[in-house]
Amino acid sequence: MTAFANVVLGGIFHAAVLFLVAAGLQLVFGVQKIVNLACGSFYALGAYFGISLVNAALHTGVPAVLLLPILIIAGLLMALVGPPIERLLRSVYGRDESFQLLLTFALVLMFQDVLRFIWGANPQSLGSEVLVYGKLSWGDFTVPIYNLLVIAAALAAAGLIGLFLRRTTYGRLLRATAENRAMAEALGVNVRTVYASVFSLGTLLGTLGGALVVPTSAASLDMAIEFVIEAFAVVVIGGLGSMAGALVGALLVGLIRALSLVVYPEFEILAIYLIVIATLLLRPAGLFGKAAS
Amino acid sequence: MPGRAQLLGVAVGVVALALVPVLAPPFYANLLVPFFAYAIALLGFNLLFGYTGLLSFGHAMYLGLGAYSAAIVAGVLGIRQFELVLVAAALAASLLALPIGFLCVRYTGIFFGMLTLAFGMLAHSFLFKFYHLTGGDSGMRVPRTRILGLPFDAYNKIELLAGPFYYYCLALLVVAGFTLWRIVHSPFGLHLRSLRDNPQKAEYLGVRVRQFRLAAYIISAAYGGIGGAILGFRIGLADPELVHWTHSGHLVFMTVLGGFNSFFGPIIGALALTLLQDQLQSITQYWRFVLGAMLAAIVIFFPRGLAGIATDFARLYKAPKQPQVAQ
Amino acid sequence: MTPLLEAKGVSKYFGDFRALQDVSIAVNADEFVAVVGPNGAGKTTLVNLLTGLLSPSTGQVFFKGANIAGVGPIVLAKRGMARTFQLVQIFPQLTVAETIAAAVVSQQQKQWRLFSALSADLALHERVREIAGIFGLSGRLQNVARMLSQGEKKLLDVASAFALNPEVILLDEPTSGVSTTEKHVLMQTLIGAAKAAGVRAIILVEHDMDLVASYSQRIVALAEGKVLADLPPGPFFSDPHIIATVVGKRKSH
Repeated sequence: MTAFANVVLGGIFHAAVLFLVAAGLQLVFGVQKIVNLACGSFYALGAYFGISLVNAALHTGVPAVLLLPILIIAGLLMALVGPPIERLLRSVYGRDESFQLLLTFALVLMFQDVLRFIWGANPQSLGSEVLVYGKLSWGDFTVPIYNLLVIAAALAAAGLIGLFLRRTTYGRLLRATAENRAMAEALGVNVRTVYASVFSLGTLLGTLGGALVVPTSAASLDMAIEFVIEAFAVVVIGGLGSMAGALVGALLVGLIRALSLVVYPEFEILAIYLIVIATLLLRPAGLFGKAAS
Repeated sequence: MPGRAQLLGVAVGVVALALVPVLAPPFYANLLVPFFAYAIALLGFNLLFGYTGLLSFGHAMYLGLGAYSAAIVAGVLGIRQFELVLVAAALAASLLALPIGFLCVRYTGIFFGMLTLAFGMLAHSFLFKFYHLTGGDSGMRVPRTRILGLPFDAYNKIELLAGPFYYYCLALLVVAGFTLWRIVHSPFGLHLRSLRDNPQKAEYLGVRVRQFRLAAYIISAAYGGIGGAILGFRIGLADPELVHWTHSGHLVFMTVLGGFNSFFGPIIGALALTLLQDQLQSITQYWRFVLGAMLAAIVIFFPRGLAGIATDFARLYKAPKQPQVAQ
Repeated sequence: MTPLLEAKGVSKYFGDFRALQDVSIAVNADEFVAVVGPNGAGKTTLVNLLTGLLSPSTGQVFFKGANIAGVGPIVLAKRGMARTFQLVQIFPQLTVAETIAAAVVSQQQKQWRLFSALSADLALHERVREIAGIFGLSGRLQNVARMLSQGEKKLLDVASAFALNPEVILLDEPTSGVSTTEKHVLMQTLIGAAKAAGVRAIILVEHDMDLVASYSQRIVALAEGKVLADLPPGPFFSDPHIIATVVGKRKSH
């Protein structure tokens, strides 16, 4: 029973990180209609840099308890790659979606070697710094407090994004542009700025997710390639362009992965793909998305 | 039928390729065998992409299936005849493409891309995880087989690949290319292009859009299977990485590099990337970066690919035609 | 004589919204019927029902005696009905010849021929040239469709519909976007082409009352989802109530 609860909590932690990246994907797809294959690369970038920054900080005597803030800063810093990349993507905005997909694929290839160049081919991980936050025990079952903090952070992010989109003027502008770009432009919205800021926000969520995950998993080159698929599973199941979908989808994918690891390991990722396929076939709009043509 | 310039180009190309084993060290012929595999696979892929307008991000699945078919037929079942391996590969790919294509062609654009990607990764994880059946990440061996019934015992593997097998693949490419040319220039091909350009209008002209998309999908899968069988024979192994989505990405890369609006584009792209990748890998360990940058440049500046650049170049030398009237 | 195309007591609801109520229309062979009415009257819905795109909520639609509810454009193209749209539809990358050929391939049932060469099919080319000739596109055969002028695109759109050799053709505002001087030329080309192609009935959806008066033998007026009138032009234009509802409060031009 406790093992089960631990697994579930592990799944929720994974879901929290997934949500962040998926939310970034959803924003970019919802507003710009771009499917960003490089989201996994942003994730990996955040992870690697997070480790580097933490190691550097610890080396200069910064106390380990600042681990979480440092990682958040790492994520924020790496988000700076967002604007220049958006500038690059601008050259294919009007064109066929295949070209946009291909350009982001080109970015994936390039990022792989950039990561390899800076951090080398071996996986990297943090030591046990995360233990500084301690664990929460409840009878037989324990959970690292760090994990709970991240889950809380993800929920906070979800709430903030939701508020932002619904209650602020800029958020409404974003939703208007997502709904109907031409109309928004006609009404005076500076779509260029909107696209730039949305992409940057999406990048930020990706790098942040990567940074937050490193205390519990290693950063590796494979990360960038493999994570894309999971993030896409979340987006498809939750519904393209929907924030609520990102939340629910991330939870589903995180839990399914965690549970199938316990129940039938061979099935682990297969289960997710099957659900993705089933969703695309039976309800292409996903749980919360609008129907696609 | 192809214009004189095109026929000449094909003839020159075939002769040049035929001369490689004669004039160059065996390394180069060996290097070009995967080119043949990819050229055949991409001819089929572009039927789906360039001519029918469907971009599949899971097409590598059929190449993988071709390689695994080779492993099963030649290895597990011990049937060491390459012709039978080819038939099995094409058949297996077509049979799998039927239900998968049936499900996928109900969608277009990004949904089609995502569905095909998901199926591809489903196949990947199946091959990876069920290692009792598939050998997991070690893959399955593809043993040597007879070619045209001949064992070529006097040749070792490298000599075989750089010699008889090389010419065999060249012949396969010519046959595959000729067949696809006929398909593309047939009434069927015309209907494919019409449904690519405007599916709604095509329906009103009686084009059975979904059926034809499925037919194109199956044909492209069969070509992929044949390419995969060649790859499997050449590498001697069928492994799950053949089926990973990044491999599908490379197929798209080659097609776009060569030019997807052109019949010969994919072949040019396969050749270019095979040679380029080999050269780059000997110069730097960061060849992926260079390739990525190239792909970005193609997408942004040369969307019609190498074939497009070549046609533009050729046009500079021809007399200008009557300008089109557009209002 | 069974009508060629017929709607019997057709109603269509979209959720709570009633687009058509108890509409009955019959089109017989050798008829030219115009369908008119203000926007929102249900013309598009009726046309979609008559061309098998939709199924009626109640009532039936028959083409050559067979029920065609929701049968779809592909089947209807085979059975002999063609339709054009108000917004010009072309195949951007295909040439004029290829566009018409696509229709001829359907009509000659050659679409599953994977290995025969299009370029060698003389019967096909004859037919393509014939159709192009009727619509004045003979000089444009090798031009790519997206490079044509707007007027030529329209002609191509209609030409490809005619290439199906339909028995009934439904023209949805074919002269919209065409200059007033060219409207009559276009209409006469269409009618001449129809006769030459052996089309047995034409249904025309139009806003331009001048054209409607000049060419149709019968006018069906829709208003708020119901048939307001189904009359030849003479009686139609003599009825002040019909004129007021259909033409609106516009002064005559």
